[in-house]
Amino acid sequence: MTCLNKRYASLMNKVLDGDATVKERNELFAHLATCDSCDRHFKELKRSTEILNHLAHPQLSADFTKNVLEQLPAEKQHVLREWTARHPVIATAAICVVPMSLLFVAAGRQNSMPKRHGEDSYILVNQTGSRN
Amino acid sequence: MDQKEKRLIKKVKKGDHQAFADLVDRYKNSVCSICLRMVGNREEAEDLSQEAFIRAYNNISKFDSDRKFSTWLFRIATNLSIDSLRRKKPSVSLDAEIPGTEGLALNTLLPGNTVPPDEQIVMAETEQWIQKEIGALPDKYRSAVILKYVEDLSLKEISEIMRLPVGTVKTRVHRGREMLRKNMKESRGGRNDMPE
Ligand SMILES: [Zn+2]
Repeated sequence: MTCLNKRYASLMNKVLDGDATVKERNELFAHLATCDSCDRHFKELKRSTEILNHLAHPQLSADFTKNVLEQLPAEKQHVLREWTARHPVIATAAICVVPMSLLFVAAGRQNSMPKRHGEDSYILVNQTGSRN
Repeated sequence: MDQKEKRLIKKVKKGDHQAFADLVDRYKNSVCSICLRMVGNREEAEDLSQEAFIRAYNNISKFDSDRKFSTWLFRIATNLSIDSLRRKKPSVSLDAEIPGTEGLALNTLLPGNTVPPDEQIVMAETEQWIQKEIGALPDKYRSAVILKYVEDLSLKEISEIMRLPVGTVKTRVHRGREMLRKNMKESRGGRNDMPE
């Protein structure tokens, strides 16, 4: 902008933001009618933002929604969460049981690796642990 | 937030997947649009959108139902996009293609596809050019400009999404707008076929 009057730059912003009073609008447009550089500047500002409105939104298919749903944690887990919120004491007790049983499982695995029962419970624990 | 949406959220908080599917269908195109304009790549934008919805679901207990769901969701999408841009930054060399131009398919522009192919190409070129200019803006101006002019959100809504005072958002919009004007003017060179 070759026009040195800073006031007009701030008026342009006000008008473009929809914040200008009628008086301010009139003041700006009166100046634009006489100042080529401000007039050009204002038109460019308007155009560069209006053009963004021409960008179409991508249209996602039903597959997108399906994919999202497939990645959600199973519905059951939320029932569990609700339940733990309502029964904090029992939930805490249950949480204490888990590491204890893990110890048992670990001990069981150490003592009797090939034993079928130990393997099964290891898989079970691992599966629940890997879900978030 | 409308009553139907409030009911949906209530169900989602109880773990109802179908209710969440309704919310995804409601907002997926806007979320993907924000991500696409932020990162400039359709495939990446879809991945980020998926991640945004999954995060929203997993954190739904933290969402205050008295607020607007879209505000909260758009915040997640914007933040994920910014994180993704920051992760990529060090690996982008100076002479590499400006991020935000690759992978823009024609169908991102024309869902209905009733425009003749040669016109489609012109429009796709314009879109690529606009995207390149958006991609040249620094992150903080880019997000403000996208939310304001691509998504048509109010400054107040943007300030809630960005968790910044309205005045700060305004300054970012002003700076982004001015930068966009200057860059578009310079890069346009001889072409004057910018749509009015
Ligand atoms: Zn002037």
